[in-house]
Amino acid sequence: MSRLSIENLHVAVKGNEILRGVNLIVEEGQTLALLGPNGHGKSTLLGAIMGNPIYEITEGSVTLDGVDILSLPVDERAKAGLFLAMQYPPEIPGVNSIDFLKAAMNSRREKPLRTLQMYSALQSAYKEMGIPFEMSSRNLNEGFSGGEKKRNEILQMKLLEPKFAMLDEIDSGLDVDAMQVVAKAIRDEQEKGRGFLVVSHYARLYDMIHPTHVAIMVNGRIAVTGGPELIQKIDTRGYEWIKTELGIEVEKQSAMNKQSIGVCAAHVGTEGGK
Amino acid sequence: MDITLLDNQIENGEFRVEPGQSLHLNLASFSGFPNHEIYVKVLSNGVFKAAFADFSKGSGKLKVYIDLAGEGASAEWHCASICDGTSEKVLDVNLIHSAQHTKGLVSNYGISEDAARLSFLGTSEIKKGAAGSSTRQVAKIVVFDEGCIGKAMPILKIDENDVSASHAAVVGKLNESHLFYLTSRGIPLAAARRLLTLGYLKPIESHFEDEALRKKIDEAIEGGI
Repeated sequence: MSRLSIENLHVAVKGNEILRGVNLIVEEGQTLALLGPNGHGKSTLLGAIMGNPIYEITEGSVTLDGVDILSLPVDERAKAGLFLAMQYPPEIPGVNSIDFLKAAMNSRREKPLRTLQMYSALQSAYKEMGIPFEMSSRNLNEGFSGGEKKRNEILQMKLLEPKFAMLDEIDSGLDVDAMQVVAKAIRDEQEKGRGFLVVSHYARLYDMIHPTHVAIMVNGRIAVTGGPELIQKIDTRGYEWIKTELGIEVEKQSAMNKQSIGVCAAHVGTEGGK
Repeated sequence: MDITLLDNQIENGEFRVEPGQSLHLNLASFSGFPNHEIYVKVLSNGVFKAAFADFSKGSGKLKVYIDLAGEGASAEWHCASICDGTSEKVLDVNLIHSAQHTKGLVSNYGISEDAARLSFLGTSEIKKGAAGSSTRQVAKIVVFDEGCIGKAMPILKIDENDVSASHAAVVGKLNESHLFYLTSRGIPLAAARRLLTLGYLKPIESHFEDEALRKKIDEAIEGGI
């Protein structure tokens, strides 16, 4: 049985420690809902497992079926069976969606897929996700609406067939219909026995995909683990009870979690790729 | 009218686009960099479109002056350049809006490698009286190696109200978050860099209609990165 195991994981961003010793295990066929107040490290955990270079691992381990994931380059982590549906998928100018999907699908095969096989896999995935196939000729995520980007993440998950999929606020930006489509796609993968690590603030998504386990992250650590009843408790009572019942002071959201992107300048020069 | 000039066919020159006419100027250099000056005057409602695909190994400065002299005139300039080895290239594209309701775009994309120096200069100017005009400048350079240099210095000069003007200048390595996204899908780093770089340069191909030349440009891009 496949197992994703996170032990005593410490992660820093620009010298600020965000994860302070996370311990979690997700097994094949399980869906773990990860909840917690904003800015307490949920996205950081997912990004660090996938290998986002902005996160620095200072201590601890992540293993997938005994393989040390943290020692692998990002593409090898994907080939080992991990997938991250990102909260804000970037728009990538000049890279055609189909070229990208072909490269991604072929990266884990010894022999590239035949054109016809590839084409029919792509077409049926687009259809299931309710994305017009014409969009496959557009640049990756460029000009896509928030909801289209999220559907496109799940489309990739379906095509790449990971052992464990990590979904970072996949429901944000989705309308009710799109939410149904995404939830159905997740349920299909659950039936195939895949493991999920799902971050969302809303009970609505969880109602549709029925997590088997729940963990609550506070102050960069897992404060509570339990069953789906915890989702209901948070949905009705918020996180106040963490303090009253467990005596854990919930720290204020740290500013370090906010990132700024984008460049606009009249005069930009650089030497030697600094 | 379509004019296509290759390598040493590119010389100092003057072009004039008569009222209501259009001129497509396609330039491609594979051997030496064109160290020349090109002047273009576009009269009322004339359309000038130029594309420059540069994969040369040489050094030099290409100066371009485009004067949107008549009302409703428009001009587009697109360039994709690979600058490698010890080449030192300067591309200086200037666009002058002298009449009302003129429209201009200057778009330069480049890759700087090895110990090369690549500079994108140029001023887009909207003169007094050229009301209702719009202009845009884009200059982007990806620097690949520690020893190479990329400079992007687009300048906007505006002397009229009721106009729209914008520019974007970026010099840097390939975007880290784009690389992370592609590699997180299992694409090896080298292939991901290649995909992103191709995405930078390949759009120039769409401006060339001649199939054989397009293929030659495609090969130069594929072979150059």
